[in-house]
Amino acid sequence: MNAAIVTAILRKDLAAFRRDRFYVLITAASVVLYPLVFWLLPATVDETIRLGVAPGEVRDLLGGDAAAQGGLDVVAFDDVATLEGAVDAGDVVAGLAFPADFVEATAAGERTSVTLLLGAATPPELSGTMRAFVGEIAYAVAGQAPPVDPRTEIVVLGEDRAGDQVTLREQLRPLLAFLVLLTETLALAALVAAEVQQRTVTAVLVTPATTTDFLAAKGILGTAMAFVEAVLITALIGGLATGAPILLLALLLGAMLVTGFGMIAGAYGRDFMTVLFLSVMFMVPLMIPGFAALFPGSASGWVQALPSFPLVDTIVRVTTQGAGWSDVAGSLLLLAGWCVASFAVGALVLGRKVARL
Amino acid sequence: MNASVTAGTERAGAATAARTGAGFSLGRALRVTEKDLRLGPRSPIFLWAILLPVVLTFVLTAVFGTLFAAPPRLGIVDAGGSAVTSALRDAEGLVVVEVDDETELRAAVEAHDVDAGLVLGAGFDETLAAGGQPELEFFVSGSSLTSDRVILGVTTVSVLREQGGQSPPVDVVVTQVGDADVVPVEDRLLPLIVFYAVVIAGMFLPAASLVDEREKRTLDAVLVTPTRMSEVLLGKGVLGGSLAMAMGVITLWLNGALTGRGPGVVVFLLLGAVMVAEIGLVLGCWARDSNTLFSAIKGGGLLIALPAFFFLFPALPQWVARLVPTYYFLGPIYEMANAGTTLGDHLGDLAIGVAVCVLLAPAVVAMGRRTERRAAITL
Repeated sequence: MNAAIVTAILRKDLAAFRRDRFYVLITAASVVLYPLVFWLLPATVDETIRLGVAPGEVRDLLGGDAAAQGGLDVVAFDDVATLEGAVDAGDVVAGLAFPADFVEATAAGERTSVTLLLGAATPPELSGTMRAFVGEIAYAVAGQAPPVDPRTEIVVLGEDRAGDQVTLREQLRPLLAFLVLLTETLALAALVAAEVQQRTVTAVLVTPATTTDFLAAKGILGTAMAFVEAVLITALIGGLATGAPILLLALLLGAMLVTGFGMIAGAYGRDFMTVLFLSVMFMVPLMIPGFAALFPGSASGWVQALPSFPLVDTIVRVTTQGAGWSDVAGSLLLLAGWCVASFAVGALVLGRKVARL
Repeated sequence: MNASVTAGTERAGAATAARTGAGFSLGRALRVTEKDLRLGPRSPIFLWAILLPVVLTFVLTAVFGTLFAAPPRLGIVDAGGSAVTSALRDAEGLVVVEVDDETELRAAVEAHDVDAGLVLGAGFDETLAAGGQPELEFFVSGSSLTSDRVILGVTTVSVLREQGGQSPPVDVVVTQVGDADVVPVEDRLLPLIVFYAVVIAGMFLPAASLVDEREKRTLDAVLVTPTRMSEVLLGKGVLGGSLAMAMGVITLWLNGALTGRGPGVVVFLLLGAVMVAEIGLVLGCWARDSNTLFSAIKGGGLLIALPAFFFLFPALPQWVARLVPTYYFLGPIYEMANAGTTLGDHLGDLAIGVAVCVLLAPAVVAMGRRTERRAAITL
């Protein structure tokens, strides 16, 4: 492999990339739009159920201010009409209208009736929980303890993130970083397809350049384009604030991974449409781990088997859990393995295609 | 005027003269449709038009549908077949998962595969019935939302009281306040999914096909036969429109939005298919090459998709959506699917939609003539 020749091919490819308005537009739009979408997403997680009660004195029965710490934000209203208005406007998720003599009557063992006001925006499943709430208040007033209360000895497993939950914005970070890498797959694939279809590669190969030089140039170009843009956007969405060295390595490996797929799509792409189609065929399954990261819990086995999973897993663990090198070593090794595999297959497929021209 | 243009114009005149005797032929237009249909499956766009709505339906409903409304999940280890487990399973608003042993449950809770875990020992029900205090373990995931912890805790206690023979000393009367017709997020996504189904097939397919035929010069070959440009446009429009209709129906069916509203929805799907096919034909004639077409669709796509986003965010001023022509098929479909309206409630929208289609027709004809003239010059 000749470094001077590889550099010359790289310079030619970069010039071709700059001339292509479509990819320049996609690249520019990605740099602006992804961070914009990211910063527009909610920066906090609302963990409380906002419940209205009337008359206002009942608020103390539900724990008052202390209840808000426990996931229940109780808002007091003077009368039922005001409470109804608040429920209707969606200011509270539901309302509980207690009779004026609720405490006295319940304490005296008399059965009372409480009205549960549900708004149009109240999730239907909250109805059962609200009934249980009312029951618990009445039991408490009547002095009837439950036969057994699991809430008295709760064991919290894992880091307690109550009040400090991972936001949708943070959950989307790996997906956005990965989408950027995938977009560059398309750019490289189109460049390669154009070289193959227009047979400019044969012109390159009658010079002292070898197939190895050609493949090296494409590999370096694809990896560099994907890596630079992914790092830029990850930095713009605040993804490099913690564990930057690990993330840079992960993004570099991710860039190499998608470059391999870009080479395959480019080698088989007959024209722009085919390139687009093949790239999307690779992009859709590769995006699944990014979407899976939005859901709570561990990903299914088949999702973990996808080549992009170790990349997404590394980003998630570093950015949201503060994981270090030793925590993500396994994922990085697996990602490196996928990189070697995809790069080797990409180079093999493209090399054979070039050889047949 | 240079010599080549003069010669081209003369050839164009000769080609037009050769066709003067032959009027518009529906048969030839349908042969164009048949050819595109036969060759279509080889085109990635054709496959895209079929696959993308299905994939989008899955992705959008899976991600957004459950993301915003994920119910609390409770894992239970039940060593003695307790009635508490079945009561919790029947409780509304919870997802209950049975786990084999405590170790597995602890792992699931720690990984946040469930929000909380409950261990019911053997003989739990018997001890409870005897008025005793059976052993009970309750694990909570550190990553679970505080509100989910409250819901799971309160619901579990309520079930335990019920199983222990206690009944609450209070009656609860449920009253619905205000308009109960709020549309859930997953249903508000429907116009977006229908939009993609109809637009990819109805607009993208004829546009990409026209550009492709121009780039490969097969359009030139077709136009030296008696086939006229208007027949080519009709043929491609019919294929795009038909596929758009089919994908629209499939998408609505996949999303459970077709039942009981068939005829009205189909009328507006037809309107949408015709409208986007016309836009696709104009774009296909206008775009110089595939890259220009894609750039135009990327740039203008957001504008024609705008009504779908307004349905997603009802707090936005909805009148803005009415400024975009695609509203006049997406709006009625959304209303019929979610608010139970009928075709009769949307006759005004139908009239405006038809007017848009009629107004687009001269643009299609003009762009077709321009393409025909250009093709003749290059012959």
